[in-house]
Amino acid sequence: MNWNKDKSILLTQIGTAFFTLLLLALDIACYWAVSWFVQLRGLDRGSVWYFTATVYACSVFAWPLLWSLWTLLAAIRRGEVFTAENVRRLRVVSWCCVGAALICLVSAFYYPSFLLITAAAGFMSLIVRVVKNVFQQALAMKDELDLTV
Amino acid sequence: MEIIVNLDVMMARRKIGSGELAERVGITPANLSILKTGKAKAIRFSTLMALCRELGCQPGDILEYRP
Repeated sequence: MNWNKDKSILLTQIGTAFFTLLLLALDIACYWAVSWFVQLRGLDRGSVWYFTATVYACSVFAWPLLWSLWTLLAAIRRGEVFTAENVRRLRVVSWCCVGAALICLVSAFYYPSFLLITAAAGFMSLIVRVVKNVFQQALAMKDELDLTV
Repeated sequence: MEIIVNLDVMMARRKIGSGELAERVGITPANLSILKTGKAKAIRFSTLMALCRELGCQPGDILEYRP
């Protein structure tokens, strides 16, 4: 096995694990984190519940996204790169980004800065979608190559 | 409309087994099986050349176009 390739995948897995822990911490301490943010920005105290709802709604998409990333990296580590399952995982990641973008778009009605996150999540979804399309094409090419004698 | 692989016919005519042909051509028995069963999507010129050499035939004896 390639030493650099292994280290690179490990680094990405550490990054994924870090974001998973961050999300877990945010889910557990959501109320306190949001209260602190609302106080910091000098916003209306009642908006705490709106922010909490946004965080938990985004969380619904963030968990399957992180799980898909984790399983995708594990599959790549096993040497299973261009498979139908990996294409499906990338599709899940892409749609999770779209879901989070839509929630942030709705949340922009009470806090306009969410529009920035909407744009970022939408753009991320586009990038992942392009990668998914590349994987899909590569899978078709691999299938043909496997049946070339 | 398809390409039919008549490799099994040629092998029977030459009285040669799959294992022996695979070894002489330089491909795995699994790949030869893919070719024989018509599952292959493509065949390399080098493989076709080796098959023709070992079976003493022309590409047309192995591949047949059926409209």
